[in-house]
Amino acid sequence: MRAQFVLSEIWIGLRRNLTMTVAVIVTVAISLALFGGGLLINQQVTQMRQYWDERVTLTVYMCTEISTSNTCQENGPATDQQRQDVQSALESMDEVSSVEYISAEDAFQDFQERFANNEAMVEAVREGDIPDNFRVQLVDPSQYEAVSSNIEGSPGIDSIYDDQAVLEQFFGLLDGLTAAALTVAFVQLAAAALLIGNTVRLAAYSRRKETGIMRLVGASNFYIQLPFLLEGAIAGLIGGIIASGFIVAARFLLLSRIQEWFQFDVTLSTGSLLSVIGVSLILGVLLCTVASFLTLRRYLRV
Amino acid sequence: MIHFENVTKVYPTQKRPALEDVTIDVDKGEFVFLVGPSGSGKSTFLRLVLKEEKPTRGRVHVAGKDLARLSNWKVPHLRRRIGCVFQDFRLLPNKNVFENVAFALEVIGKPRRFIRKVVPEVVELVGLEGKADRMPDELSGGEQQRVAIARAFVNRPQILLADEPTGNIDPATSIGIMKVLDRINRTGTTVVMATHDAAIVDSMRKRVIELEEGEVVRDQSRGVYGQAY
Repeated sequence: MRAQFVLSEIWIGLRRNLTMTVAVIVTVAISLALFGGGLLINQQVTQMRQYWDERVTLTVYMCTEISTSNTCQENGPATDQQRQDVQSALESMDEVSSVEYISAEDAFQDFQERFANNEAMVEAVREGDIPDNFRVQLVDPSQYEAVSSNIEGSPGIDSIYDDQAVLEQFFGLLDGLTAAALTVAFVQLAAAALLIGNTVRLAAYSRRKETGIMRLVGASNFYIQLPFLLEGAIAGLIGGIIASGFIVAARFLLLSRIQEWFQFDVTLSTGSLLSVIGVSLILGVLLCTVASFLTLRRYLRV
Repeated sequence: MIHFENVTKVYPTQKRPALEDVTIDVDKGEFVFLVGPSGSGKSTFLRLVLKEEKPTRGRVHVAGKDLARLSNWKVPHLRRRIGCVFQDFRLLPNKNVFENVAFALEVIGKPRRFIRKVVPEVVELVGLEGKADRMPDELSGGEQQRVAIARAFVNRPQILLADEPTGNIDPATSIGIMKVLDRINRTGTTVVMATHDAAIVDSMRKRVIELEEGEVVRDQSRGVYGQAY
């Protein structure tokens, strides 16, 4: 195998079909960027979910004088006895890992701290506006229904509030984005495969004289096909590298904005970014090589 | 060297066989003319030797190998033992004489040192010394065919197949081409040449196999082209 010969054949081939090569590279780059973007969002969602699953809580608000729900209107504010009953009922459940009582005073202070940068909010809310409550940590956050239905309607309880209900909407949006990006990516990848097929067919046609002679003088099939396969692989690789640029940009320009909405660290690690890039590059090269190979079998009879 | 045993070839799209029950033996070192009108099966014969086609019935042995038993990935190795020359030369227009001949060795992975040594020898053998750096379009038809012969012979094949090598060349130049083929034959290479050229066949006085409608109608040592044409 003479490397120099093969390399010069590839170079000639890529140059001869320059416009097609560019089309292939662009298509591959876009599809891989979408694919990588989808993976990136997916990883981000997984990471945030893990974070939330550890922290998600059920908040049980107790009745106060200003509660508006029916049960509270009928029975008045919760008594200490009712608080104790609710707390022991919660603590006795297997699904519950911990219960913390927050008095109205503590809840108000906590609120003030959280919205310290929003003066209007802080001024609008007074102590006692936020009822005293129990923060319930669950062993498995998905067990929310079981726990809430168990204590729902117990005397003194105003309402039960689940963090996850809000989070699910947010995650649902991100899941939708992932699915959309991956769908478009796969359609694009299919288009890229067809384009590569066409490019290789053109290349095989424009080099039919060379390949015909190679066949006659007994060059092995592998040797005849190698330049075409490598051409596809190189186009795929270049597309993949461009896509990697997009992926890195997406990570630092778009996903890093998510951080602004959170108080904790949700930044994706460099490791997961590299793995996304790695998967995209491998997919690009593999797709192009396989597409070239399948086309060659049809158009380069050996 | 080439052994056909009751070979019949029917192309899928045609009813009439291109070759019908053909039995031919060509020994090592022979020079054989394959004659007959167009469509008589000469090209099919050559394609069967190269295993570009498979016989519908019968057996083909080439260089001691039963082609039916030769797996596809070994076909390139068979073709390295067979040189091929065509009516239309089939040179690469963007490569000069040396590069065209060297191409045949490059693509089967021969080392460059070997190529530098062998190619000039063969270029000289076909009578093109001093023209190694010419491009094909700077050469006459006869010279181009010599390049093609050099390329077919550079790997020292055991068999040289020539499909109407003088078909595009004037009679005077053809004689030169035949001298080259004769020289190659004298090195021990078996030469099979399909041709329409009566004058050449008559002048060479070699074995003549005549095909007509896919059948062997004459097999004559030291023969002539025949009166019918």
